[in-house]
Amino acid sequence: MFTTIDDSTYKNTIADTKDGILICFKKQCPHCKNMEKVLEKFAKKNDGVTFYKLDSEENPEARDELSAERAPTLVFIKEGAISATKAGLMNPKEMTAYYRSVQ
Amino acid sequence: MKPEKQVDLVIIGGGPAGMTAAIYAAQANLDTLILEESVTGGLVNSTHTVQNFPSYPKIHGMELMEKMKEHVDHLSIPVEEVCEVESLSLEREFKTIETDEAVFHSKAVILATGRKPIPLDLQTECEEVHYCAICDGGAYKGKRVLVVGGGNSGFDESLYLLQIDISHLTLIEVEDRFFAAESTQEQLLADKRVEARTGAKLVDLCLEDGHLAGAVIKDLSTGNHETIPVDGIFVFLGQTPNNELFKNQVALSDNGYIKAGPNMETNLPGVYSAGDINDKIFRQITTAMGDATIAALSAERYIRNLKRSML
Repeated sequence: MFTTIDDSTYKNTIADTKDGILICFKKQCPHCKNMEKVLEKFAKKNDGVTFYKLDSEENPEARDELSAERAPTLVFIKEGAISATKAGLMNPKEMTAYYRSVQ
Repeated sequence: MKPEKQVDLVIIGGGPAGMTAAIYAAQANLDTLILEESVTGGLVNSTHTVQNFPSYPKIHGMELMEKMKEHVDHLSIPVEEVCEVESLSLEREFKTIETDEAVFHSKAVILATGRKPIPLDLQTECEEVHYCAICDGGAYKGKRVLVVGGGNSGFDESLYLLQIDISHLTLIEVEDRFFAAESTQEQLLADKRVEARTGAKLVDLCLEDGHLAGAVIKDLSTGNHETIPVDGIFVFLGQTPNNELFKNQVALSDNGYIKAGPNMETNLPGVYSAGDINDKIFRQITTAMGDATIAALSAERYIRNLKRSML
C-alpha cells in the first residue's frame, strides 16, 4: 500500500501528489508500526489518497526538511504541497477527524 | 448493520499472552480470532532489549514479537489489529463482542488485555513530555533529558537514550530504591552522563516560550525543591490494568486486576484470562505465556464439553 520514498525522491513526490499522506517512521518505533496499521485501515475507506513512507533515520535531509524528528510524523499533501504535519500516534477515529480538518 | 460472525474462541489482546493462547487454540482446531486495539506485541514492542526470553540471549522486543506473530500467521489465525472493541457481553453462555466493524459471537473468551502506561499527573503540559524513547529520543541528541521512573522500562529506555548521544540524563524514582534488574542498573549507572536519584518526585515543569526549560524535583526525605535544566522528559511510571471493557462483569482485585483461578478461569463460565491483566506478583513475557497456555487449554476443554452437552 505504501510507496517508499527517500532523500532523493521526496521533493518530486510531494510536488506530483494531488492527495497523499506520508508517514515518516523509525524501524524500531512501536507507535510507527501502530500508525501504519491505522493508515491501512484509513485507506480502505478513502479511495484516491496516495500513501508514502520514509525512514527518517536513513534519510536525514528529508527528516530535517519535513521537521520529522519525532516518530511517527505524518505529512499531509494536497495539490503538490504540504498542507499539514502531525507528530504522534492517532487512533482510526482521530485519524479520520484530523484528515478532514486539514482538507 | 455490522456483519456478524460466529467463532469458537475470541482472544482480546494480541500481546505475548494473546498470541500464545491463539497458537494453542489453533492447534486444538478451535476457530479462533484475536482482537487487538493497536498492533500485536503489546508492551513488549516498546522494550528495547529483552534478555530473559529462553532461546534468545538478547533480542529487541519488537523483533521477538514479530517472530511470535509469524507463528500466529503460519497457523492462519485471523488477527484484527487497530480494532476498537466497543462492548462485551460475557455473562451468557454465548459471548458477544462488538467492535467498530463487526459483531462476533463465541463460545469462550480469553481476556489478555494487559496493561497501559500510567501518564504523568501534572497540571502543566508541553510537547517535550514523552512516553517512548525510541520514537521521540532522536530530537534530544546533545541535549539534557529527565527520565521519570526507576523500573525496568525507565532504565532500559535510558540506555537507549545514552546510545543516541544525549549530553546528560537524570533519572528519578519516588521510592527509596530502583526496581530495574541489577545488571541493567549497573550498566546505566556506570555512565558518567547519568545522575540517578531515589526518593525524588517530579512536581512541576518550567516552560520558556511554550517549550520545556526545566523540571522541578522534590526531595521526598527533606521536602526541598530543586529546578534542574532539561530539554525533554521521558515518563515510565509503570502500568495500570486495561480493564475498562469488562470491569463491571469480571471479578477484579482491589487494584483492578482479574482474579483468575489456577486454570485461568474467571468468575464467569467460559471466560478465561492470561498475562499482565491477571492479579499476580510476577509479570514477565514467560509468565504471560504460561498463563496463556493454561487459559487456552482450559478454554478448549470448556468448549469441547459445551459441544458435547449440545448434542
